[in-house]
Amino acid sequence: MSDSFEVKIASTGQIVVVPWDKSVTQALAQAGVDILTSCGQGVCGTCLTRVLEGTPEHWDSYLTPEEQAANDQFLPCCSRSSSALLVLDL
Amino acid sequence: MFPKNAWYVACTPNEIDEGPLGRKICGERIAFYRGEGNIVAAVEDFCPHRGAPLSLGRVSEGKLVCGYHGLAMGCDGKTVSMPGQRVRGFPAIRSFPVEERYGFVWVWPGDAALADKASIPHQEWFENEEWAFGGGLFHIACDYRLMIDNLMDLTHETYVHSNSIGQKEIDEVPCKTTVDGNHVTTSRFMENIEAPPFWKMALRGNGLADDVAVDRWQICRFTPPASVMIEVGVAHAGHGGYDAPAEHKVYSVVVDFMTPESETSIHYFWGMARKFKPEDQALTDSIREGQGKIFSEDLQMLELQQKNLLAHPERGLLLLNIDAGGVQSRKVLERMMDQERAAGVASTTGAAA
Repeated sequence: MSDSFEVKIASTGQIVVVPWDKSVTQALAQAGVDILTSCGQGVCGTCLTRVLEGTPEHWDSYLTPEEQAANDQFLPCCSRSSSALLVLDL
Repeated sequence: MFPKNAWYVACTPNEIDEGPLGRKICGERIAFYRGEGNIVAAVEDFCPHRGAPLSLGRVSEGKLVCGYHGLAMGCDGKTVSMPGQRVRGFPAIRSFPVEERYGFVWVWPGDAALADKASIPHQEWFENEEWAFGGGLFHIACDYRLMIDNLMDLTHETYVHSNSIGQKEIDEVPCKTTVDGNHVTTSRFMENIEAPPFWKMALRGNGLADDVAVDRWQICRFTPPASVMIEVGVAHAGHGGYDAPAEHKVYSVVVDFMTPESETSIHYFWGMARKFKPEDQALTDSIREGQGKIFSEDLQMLELQQKNLLAHPERGLLLLNIDAGGVQSRKVLERMMDQERAAGVASTTGAAA
């Protein structure tokens, strides 16, 4: 996995650190923010989340290459961030 | 223990006419079906969604649709679609090289990259109007090599099939075994004997007297991995036996494919291709019925033999003069499996380097 980064919950302003050895959904769950997941490996699309700011690093196989390049949504069960902060539409 | 890089008979075409067929071949659970263009396809019998057997589904527009949640599988093992779900990230399942030929569906359960359809053994009697074929399928709980032993040593006919094809002369005339590369042949020629009941029926079926002395022959040909073709017949004595003109003899080939299901079970495809009265469907049916009864007599013997061997793995067995055909056939199989193991080690080493 890539280095740690931060995610911000747009609706509350809460910021959560995602360490290198945890997924976004795991880090958010520890902070009390639950995102529904199913496959946990970027296949099913259950956890699809809109990205308002920042650039996600896509590790899923659900989005098309074009959708990934748009960088306005990602799958937090497996994907990460290439910017220091991602602002999520949660 | 069986070679996996080889063609095996998996089923007959009629078994997949109505829908998919789930069948284990050499330890692999496989779903066979007719895909796009009615062409036979074979994929792992395992839905990538929840592990359901795909063979319980149905074929729709050339796709195998899972009977649990409607996942549509392509014949290359890649998921094509699923209701309410994107499938582009689904992991592929295995697909197997498969071919419909000579009245059977053949599958290659090993490394797909090595499968060459040209190596499917040619069956001369198929699509040749001089021949007629009838056969059936038994499931038998025995190592496929016990069936090879059985077919490469026909002295058992005297005892297991005493009321149909057995006769004491089989015991009295020694057989001869020869090896040519991967092919093993065991033959026996009996002269001036009385035809046993099955051959009397066949003589009558071909319009020949059944109450005169005959010459009888049995030529068993093993082709790896799991086929034994036996040329059998009788001719009115004194006309040249095996080489007698057609009007004096009844001549057939017993067709046997013993496809391993597991280490200790087989799908046994048996049949008889005959070169007399090929147009006579009633004769085909009566021969199939007679052969089915005769071959079912082997079933109990082989299953209980297998149970004995499993219960006493430490016991040594005797390989006698009558067993030469089976022994040589097993040597061919051992050689094939050694080569497969060596190639497997080589490819693993190559990948690591």
